[in-house]
Amino acid sequence: MHVSLKKEIKQSYIGQAGLIILLLVVALAVLAPFLSQYNPVQQSAASLLSPSPSHWLGTNQVGQDIWSQLLYGARTSLLVGFGVGILGVVLGIIFGVSAALIGGLYDRIVMRIVDAFIVIPMIVVVILVAAYIRPDLAVLILLLALLSWQGAARVIRAQALSLKEMGHINASRTFGASRFYLAWRHIVPDLGPILLVEFIYGVRRAVFIEAGLAFLGIGDPMLVSWGTMMHDAMKFSYLNVWQWWLVPAGVALSLTIIGLTFVSHAAESVLDPRLRGGAVA
Amino acid sequence: MLEIKDLRVSYGSDVILNGLDLELADGETLAIIGESGTGKTTLGMSIMRLAEARVQGSIRFKGQELLSLSEREMQAIRWNRIAMVFQNVNNVLNPVYSIIDQVAEPMTEHKLRKKGEARARAAELLAQFGLPQKRFSAYPHQLSGGEQQRALLAMALANDPDLLILDEPLSSLDVTTREELCALLEEIDGHRAKLVITHDLDTASRLSEKLAVLYGGRIIEIGPTREVLRQPRHPYTRALVRAYPNMTTVKDLQGIKGRMNRLVSGCPFHPRCTQAVEQCSREIPPLARSLGRWVACHRGGIVTLLSVADLSKSFDSLKAVDSVSLHIEAGETLALVGQSGSGKTTLAKIIIGLHPPSGGTVHLEDKRVERRGKDFYKRVQMIFQNPGESLSHRLSVLELVMEPMEVQEIGTKEQRRQKAARTIEEVELPQTEAFLNTYPHHLSGGELQRVAIARALVLDPELLIADEPTAFLDASVAAKILKLLLNLQERRGLSLLYITHDIAAARKVSDRIAVMLEGRIIEEGPSNEIVTAPRQAYTRRLLSSASALHDFDNTSISH
Repeated sequence: MHVSLKKEIKQSYIGQAGLIILLLVVALAVLAPFLSQYNPVQQSAASLLSPSPSHWLGTNQVGQDIWSQLLYGARTSLLVGFGVGILGVVLGIIFGVSAALIGGLYDRIVMRIVDAFIVIPMIVVVILVAAYIRPDLAVLILLLALLSWQGAARVIRAQALSLKEMGHINASRTFGASRFYLAWRHIVPDLGPILLVEFIYGVRRAVFIEAGLAFLGIGDPMLVSWGTMMHDAMKFSYLNVWQWWLVPAGVALSLTIIGLTFVSHAAESVLDPRLRGGAVA
Repeated sequence: MLEIKDLRVSYGSDVILNGLDLELADGETLAIIGESGTGKTTLGMSIMRLAEARVQGSIRFKGQELLSLSEREMQAIRWNRIAMVFQNVNNVLNPVYSIIDQVAEPMTEHKLRKKGEARARAAELLAQFGLPQKRFSAYPHQLSGGEQQRALLAMALANDPDLLILDEPLSSLDVTTREELCALLEEIDGHRAKLVITHDLDTASRLSEKLAVLYGGRIIEIGPTREVLRQPRHPYTRALVRAYPNMTTVKDLQGIKGRMNRLVSGCPFHPRCTQAVEQCSREIPPLARSLGRWVACHRGGIVTLLSVADLSKSFDSLKAVDSVSLHIEAGETLALVGQSGSGKTTLAKIIIGLHPPSGGTVHLEDKRVERRGKDFYKRVQMIFQNPGESLSHRLSVLELVMEPMEVQEIGTKEQRRQKAARTIEEVELPQTEAFLNTYPHHLSGGELQRVAIARALVLDPELLIADEPTAFLDASVAAKILKLLLNLQERRGLSLLYITHDIAAARKVSDRIAVMLEGRIIEEGPSNEIVTAPRQAYTRRLLSSASALHDFDNTSISH
């Protein structure tokens, strides 16, 4: 498979749109200190102010700047998203590739564990666990990663099983290569596009779940997060603050998820040539 | 009758024969073969006591020690009881005497017959050897080479010796004359003990029952002529047979690497031998019995590198490989021939360890192969049917050739680089920076296969399994690849398991052919025997459907 991922995403309008949205969100998160003069967790003015030139989106119930919270909230979402995405893919590679290469009993055990996790509704487990241990950011990332690698592992195992029979892998085996060498030098690089797609799935799910937990008030209340913002804004829904408090947070979250979806859609077409348009390079 | 023990002959410091032992029984014919310079002629001359050299050891002729005889006593034996036909025809005959006089001379000289009788006997002998009567009184320069040779043979037999030494008796003659003289010699002189010294395997096979191979002043293999030539046990003998153009073997000619050097310690052949071990450079191997033959080799002759016994592989109910047994000797090519689906590739993959067998064993030399680790793959390598698939598209040519060493953790990065570059040169690929950095999808099929071969060779394996290595190449490139493999075999002593459906190609590169059908080996033997006298109907069918340029070849083979 000699397809350039970059080219593929560039050629798709949806992919392009998704990339632009994501880059925008990343830019907002990275440049947050330059785009807002307020610290999102410090009281900067009176509570529940309406938008004004000094507070573009007003302030919340404790006088924190909402624009600033929106910017720093992007950081939380992206951190959780990418953290879980990377960890999930790494775990998926470790279990998926090892199951494919080692096979036998080990393969069966790993895959039964994967199956077990997949049937359990993840969101319920996350809510229960999170409500119980009240995770901070790092623990939350770990928790979500531990609960989300199974899908990736299954897909990666399937692909690794077919890669394993390919000529160049067999050739490498006949030089005496260890399983680790095969995995590291041949199989993982060949998994390329799949890893990207699984990574984006993971990111999207994590962003969504993090926001959801915070919205339900289960997250760390001190964490600046779009979910927390919506959670707080809901309490004041009888005022018209929702216009500049609830909606921007919701829109930011939706845009991020849409951006991720668009990019993964474009990336998926790399994996499945049937989804590709006529312009095959 | 003739018993030579520990014969050492040297000219000055030049040791020609170095501890040679030989026995010849009454009425036996023994051929001594070897490359020029191995001391064959010196042996003949030493027996005749004509060598102007320091001769030590013992030569007993009918119990009499020749080396301690006085010159006078020796003269009584020379020509009377031991006669010799010399190599260089032109210098032997005296130009001022007629032929018949020269043939009669030994008889009169030794006062065995009166002059008239002697001439009559000479005429009889000359006639027996087919010289026309009107040529009897001709002078040597008036005769052709063949006629001179006839005269010399007649002269040697004039006194009815007990032992006849023939030094390159027929090598300067054309093949038809040679055949005629061989037949005459056999007819006139079948009963006499003969020592035939020759480099010509054809003469040796026609004139002798027993064959001794001489190398570096020692006998390295001795046995019944037919068997030695059909299945040599010493690497040198095999190399000699492979280098000899003939109508029997079908494999392409191969030379012997290196040159003969007399000043080597240990086994005289070890610098040119492809299976030499450390011991070979230290100790001279004694002539020892090995599988019904006498062979002087520390390793007991050509080593069996790989053997498989009762190997089977079933996929569900399909028996892809059905109790297959075969062996591959060091430095030989075994071709595995059969149509697609006959289980050839499966067999190869079992040997290389890509398929677990359902039953049976694989032995590498004497050790049973169970788990294949790095040490196994250092010795056994495989090239695959489709080179494009076996090369990762993400690695450059240099990286591809370095990969095996990386896996095996051999050397430093720089050493790997140099070794890879040398190997790339060995498979006749360019060594430019640009080429080394090329990726596989920019290479042609022939180049891809060479890269694949370089990858397999870079570990210096002893056995190369080549699975249809030319299947994806057109004929001219395929021919080059096969030549390359043969050259590598000559240089490195590589054993090849050559897997193909093409028996026409197999016969050109293989020493032996095994025919596979439905998972079984149905026929196996020396390539020439398989192609000229197949025993199985299926083999005949393979042969008749093999590529041929004229109908003639097919019909002559299939009947």
